[in-house]
Amino acid sequence: MKELKILAIIVVLVLIGYWGIEPLAHSIMHKHVEEAIKKYNLPDFKFSDLDPLPSGVKGNAEAGKETVKAFCVSCHSLKKEGINAPMPSQAAAQSFGVVPPDLSNIGGILDEKYLYNFLKNPQKATENPKFSMPALGLNDQQIMDIVAYLKSIAKKNITGEDVVKEGCVRCHSIKYQKISAVSPADTMKKYLGKVPPDLSVIYKAKGEEYLDAFINKPQAIIPGTGMPRVGLSQEAQEKALAYLDEISDPHKEQRQKVGLLVLAYLAVMVGLTFAWKKKIWKNIH
Amino acid sequence: MEKKGGFMNWLDRRLAVDALWRIMMSEYYLPKNINFLWSFGVLTMLVFAILVVSGIFLLMYYKPDAELAFDSVNKTIMMDVAFGWVFRHTHAVAASIMFLVLFIHIARGMYYGSYKAPREVVWITGFLLFVLMSATAFTGYLLPWGQMSYWAAQTITTLFEKIPFIGPDLVIWIRGNYIVADATLTRFFALHVVFLPLLLIVVTAVHLYAVRIVGSNNEDGIPMTKEEKKVKGIPFWPVFMAKEYFVMSVFLLFFFYLVFFNYSFAMDPINFQPADYLQTPPHIYPEWYFLAFYEVLRGFFFSQNLGLIAFVASMFIILFMPWLDTSPIVSGKRRPLYKIAFWIFIADFLFLTILGKLPPTGLYAWLGFVGSIVFFLFFIALPIISKIEKSQVERTGR
Repeated sequence: MKELKILAIIVVLVLIGYWGIEPLAHSIMHKHVEEAIKKYNLPDFKFSDLDPLPSGVKGNAEAGKETVKAFCVSCHSLKKEGINAPMPSQAAAQSFGVVPPDLSNIGGILDEKYLYNFLKNPQKATENPKFSMPALGLNDQQIMDIVAYLKSIAKKNITGEDVVKEGCVRCHSIKYQKISAVSPADTMKKYLGKVPPDLSVIYKAKGEEYLDAFINKPQAIIPGTGMPRVGLSQEAQEKALAYLDEISDPHKEQRQKVGLLVLAYLAVMVGLTFAWKKKIWKNIH
Repeated sequence: MEKKGGFMNWLDRRLAVDALWRIMMSEYYLPKNINFLWSFGVLTMLVFAILVVSGIFLLMYYKPDAELAFDSVNKTIMMDVAFGWVFRHTHAVAASIMFLVLFIHIARGMYYGSYKAPREVVWITGFLLFVLMSATAFTGYLLPWGQMSYWAAQTITTLFEKIPFIGPDLVIWIRGNYIVADATLTRFFALHVVFLPLLLIVVTAVHLYAVRIVGSNNEDGIPMTKEEKKVKGIPFWPVFMAKEYFVMSVFLLFFFYLVFFNYSFAMDPINFQPADYLQTPPHIYPEWYFLAFYEVLRGFFFSQNLGLIAFVASMFIILFMPWLDTSPIVSGKRRPLYKIAFWIFIADFLFLTILGKLPPTGLYAWLGFVGSIVFFLFFIALPIISKIEKSQVERTGR
């Protein structure tokens, strides 16, 4: 059949073109991302570059509570225990660049090993030399107590929305969910170099692979970025990404359903129009 | 149409609809030796209709304002309006697919020599339609006000700066500002939704009228005589359209598969970030259908002026094909030399399209240069091939 041959040529040419402008172009333009992902094996939820948890030191949540009260609440709020922030957020943002997070649920979204390293040396753990929180000079026992305490009070069965609200919206707005960043734009600009992007449709703009790697180790993807490594645990990050996907594309299910109906309808049309063509052309050749 | 019913009879006496129907449809004869590539003309009209309908629905919620445009598309239309996303996906995919259909339509005309006498007016109006459609796509691409919208418009309007004497002033006149800004958005909006579609409809009418006068070309490039038409030809209605409906259905199946399940090629991820005149994206590229021409622009990487001239030439040279190719043989099917040149040209166009999206550095820059030269070699070869064929015809008498 000559016509099928022509169709085959068109299909081949279109597929070559599609391959060129989509997968090929993507792989070349995003080479640095692919390389970083390979080099650091991202997302790396083992946080291999950080120190291991101290062996033989077991955290005590009761003791941790006291340590937190002694060391943390001079800057952080702990709403679960009825402790409010010592400064209004505007003033806190002026002093620190961003508003310090509430500690109620932080133990539920951050990785344990990361949290240990963070409390030891925040600048190293976040890979952000300008990070506001200072190292507190705590010993391993005190740190593990704090970790045990924060984990014990954190909300169980945390959702993706919770993770994003706890972990992201101190800096990022999510306009389409009517969420604006806790910290004011001007102090963040001074502190981070630019106003962090809105997250409403960030999932469509960046894609899962990129976000999964970037959130896990920002400096590997954009060297020098103001975004700190926040150290989400694997579970928390997966939930956060699922949430960002959902809010950027809320009609996914409807699209699949309507799509199948439309294609089924058109398949019937193909059959009917083919039958009509046969009928009209019966006496033509 | 045969039945002289009351209303049709009434209408016929006032508008001569019977004669119009005969001339346009039932007694407009096409040759039998055509393949489904001849269905692509009607396909462009189908896609145009889809664009108009989906566009009107988008227009009901879109806000042409630099502050509101991005959110009106990505929030209002994509999230809040019931089935708004269908119309946006349909419009974006249809804009992209319009060019696929156009390219196939044009390539068919090139291969079978449909640009040759007496079809020059068909070719010229067709070329105008391509230019108008490009302008429509370009102005429409700015409207979502995303990063790629913004920077593509910024880059392309900057090109006009190179025009001698009036360049810099012209750029400001086009943008309505020193940079692409709200004024640019609103004027592109006006062009995209009113002026350009109106022109497209007018030129389409002339294009169709011209085809009715000179008749369709065919695979062998040998026209039917007046007597042959009724015996050998097939009437546009219902015979040709019976096949056309089948082709349309298959096409729509493919089209709506893209709309619902594979639309990302028509929606660049970078465009989901709002336009920011302070932050240039690392890679700026046009939509895929302009990539080949864009690559010709970048191909002359050593001279911006030369690149710009080549860019303009690459878009307009195709208009002159009827006068570059003066061979007495019409169809490429019976022209072995032309056939070789044609397929090299098609391969080169594809090559340039792929290259057009890649960063123009190192090896890619040189490949782009070679590809651009090959692009023009095709048009330089046309008069030479014509000359060879002319002397062949004179010698052998056929």
